[in-house]
Amino acid sequence: MNRKKALALLTATAMMATSMGCGAAEETAESGETQSTQEEKQDSTESTQEASKAPETEETTGLSYTTLNLDDYKDFTASIKFLHHKTDREADGTIASMIAEFNKEFPNITVTTEAVTDYAEDSLLRLSTGDWGDIMFIPAVDKTDLATYFMPLDTLDNLSQELNFVDNWQFDNVCYGIPYMANAQGVLYNKKVFKEAGIEVLPQTPDEFIEDLKLVKEKTDAIPLYTNYAAGWTMGAWDAYVGIVSNGDNTYLNQKIVHTAEPFSDPGDGTGAYNLYKILYDACSEGLIEDDYTTTDWEGCKGMLNRGEIATMVLGSWAYAQMQEAGDTPEDVGYMPFPMSVNGTQYVNAGGDYNYAINVNSSEENKTASLVFVKWMVEKSNWCYNEGGYTVVKGGQNPDMYSAFDGCEVLSDQPAVAGEETYLNDMNAESELSINAGGNAKVQRIVEAGANGSESFDDIMTDWNAVWQAAQEELGIEVKY
Amino acid sequence: MKKKRTFTEWIRSRDGQQVLVMFAFMVIPLLLLFIFTYLPFAKMFGFSFYNMKYVGVRKFVGLKNYIKVFQRDDCFGALKLSLYYMLGSIVQLALALYLATILSFKVKGGNLFKGFMFFPFLINGIAIGFIFKFFYTRGFVFDTVLQWCGFNLENLPYWLKDQRINNFSLVGTSIWRYFGQNMVLFIGAIMSVDSELYEAAMLDGANRFQQFKYIIMPSIKTIITLNVILSITGSLSAFEPPYVITDGANGTGTYFVVMHEIAHTQQKVGLASAMAIVLLIIIFIATILQKLFFKYVFRSAEDEDPRAGARRQKMLERSIRNQERIAARGGK
Repeated sequence: MNRKKALALLTATAMMATSMGCGAAEETAESGETQSTQEEKQDSTESTQEASKAPETEETTGLSYTTLNLDDYKDFTASIKFLHHKTDREADGTIASMIAEFNKEFPNITVTTEAVTDYAEDSLLRLSTGDWGDIMFIPAVDKTDLATYFMPLDTLDNLSQELNFVDNWQFDNVCYGIPYMANAQGVLYNKKVFKEAGIEVLPQTPDEFIEDLKLVKEKTDAIPLYTNYAAGWTMGAWDAYVGIVSNGDNTYLNQKIVHTAEPFSDPGDGTGAYNLYKILYDACSEGLIEDDYTTTDWEGCKGMLNRGEIATMVLGSWAYAQMQEAGDTPEDVGYMPFPMSVNGTQYVNAGGDYNYAINVNSSEENKTASLVFVKWMVEKSNWCYNEGGYTVVKGGQNPDMYSAFDGCEVLSDQPAVAGEETYLNDMNAESELSINAGGNAKVQRIVEAGANGSESFDDIMTDWNAVWQAAQEELGIEVKY
Repeated sequence: MKKKRTFTEWIRSRDGQQVLVMFAFMVIPLLLLFIFTYLPFAKMFGFSFYNMKYVGVRKFVGLKNYIKVFQRDDCFGALKLSLYYMLGSIVQLALALYLATILSFKVKGGNLFKGFMFFPFLINGIAIGFIFKFFYTRGFVFDTVLQWCGFNLENLPYWLKDQRINNFSLVGTSIWRYFGQNMVLFIGAIMSVDSELYEAAMLDGANRFQQFKYIIMPSIKTIITLNVILSITGSLSAFEPPYVITDGANGTGTYFVVMHEIAHTQQKVGLASAMAIVLLIIIFIATILQKLFFKYVFRSAEDEDPRAGARRQKMLERSIRNQERIAARGGK
């Protein structure tokens, strides 16, 4: 008996010891790795600073997006794998038909695909294991880590002459990602319901919008504003209007907000993040939303908007095509700029969706084939247009849905200042507000407070300002504004 | 005189073969246990001392994460929600025990009922979440059924929106899912009770409730203890119903849901790991407390029993002696 116990104890301790040993060993190895990559990065920044004319891409691989000529690779042979998040397009065969089209021109490049449902989270885990294939859509990584995982595609200067919205994933003037489509941020509405309610001119300010929602409630049976509270991420979609849409400043979101002491204070002129979220709060407190917001149904709401049971939904343009497909009256689905005007002008934020990126650790052949595929997808697949996206290729054709955007100022967010690329991510994580990065819970809180009257709107905004300032202090980020 | 054996001789001998077989059988499960349980746990324990994301640079911060866990309102505030689930688990166990007792006697269609009641446990938790999302939606299944019973829709609460009752709604789904499993465990235990005991009890005039109290309960107390401990610790780590049905919003975010949010949305992996370790310690404490509690409760019952038996024995002996005395007198 005693001997058995002793044996068990011994094995247990042995196992503990080995596990600790493993953990410690790997830890040091990893930290060593990161240190070395950091050093490399420092070196590379120095070298680029010294010789800024020579693009870094040519030094390392010789491949670059703009110099690549698709016609040179007709007989190129390789087998590559593409990891993406469009499970619906994988299921309905869109991806497969695009690849078939691709293979007509490049018969020897085999492309396998894998669609991941919970992409934002799972792809990060896959990325950390390194086992994900050759092409993926960039998940939320820090910009300093881009070079560790992805191949540089081209310099920002070269790429931005041909394509829009390529500055999302650039670091030190080198681009690591190209968006597969771009979205413009506006509001979905049902044209028939608006007509029934007697709304002829689309609202341009928060006050007009709330008035229109009240009209919808009075004169029609439709739900004025569907929050999609239960789905969660649909609430986080409100964050997309912070910045350009709410103050007309395309440097605000990526450069200024991290240095702003009170980003959620009322500027007093009906603009800013304060008045943006106040629309939602007011709509909730005045009963202009669905009866039971906790049981909203994302799949069901598409058809409801199409049929005119919902008047408006605040979502990016990517949702437009899905709403049209969901019912028999696609012609009733409309898209309008967000009802907020800065000095009389409505601003529209357009920006890239997920970005293609190529594995830095793939073989040279696979890197080449991947770049060929990415270039073909961006320029020849028409995927962006078919999804109702704002064009990625400069001068490309825009879908009809953007007709209401005539007369609006279309801007895209400027990249962060050099050396401050990680600030917004750091601030988002530290403050847990996660602006534009899955901060669903904070917007849900507005709905709860508005509908139950449990908190005043100003209290919530004061609270957000407080956590924002605490995060600035914690991270040592200077307050400038 | 013991002959010294070489290793090969020893391994061929009976003793050696025994050890070899034991080792061969043990090594695979132990290896799996180590790789999938202890190694990740040790890693997580390590993570809890770092300020880190899934990717990127890690910074050692010592006990700072643990201090934060105790300072934040949302971490321990979320533990209060566990009280709802604990309450639910008591209801669940009582219900399971009641039904198990009834079904362990001869009931018409007993197996059918057992099957029906066990069925929810077989459904995937995520699917159950979706079922109940629609079940509780305004004017959907639950409201319709209640309207058949004569309730007016205006008088019915919003099952998931009203913060006073939405946690009870969620606990309801968890009861529905798990009581069947508890019931089957109880039935299994009750089956092992010697049926002669019931017969004897019936001859003595014991009714069903007395049979339950004096025969079934004492016989299955081990399995009851186990179920209570599992349910209470399980309610500390409730996750699926709030995560799937309400996404942890509207005041239903349990400790696990908050942890998930911190680990995956905010990407504070170190803090979330520290939360997990703290929860582990809390569960340890809760389990030990329950063990002590049950030990106390059942020991006092056991302590009483032998003495009571002895007393009965004495009474019996006395009465026999009296009878003998009477008989002796009568014989005179």
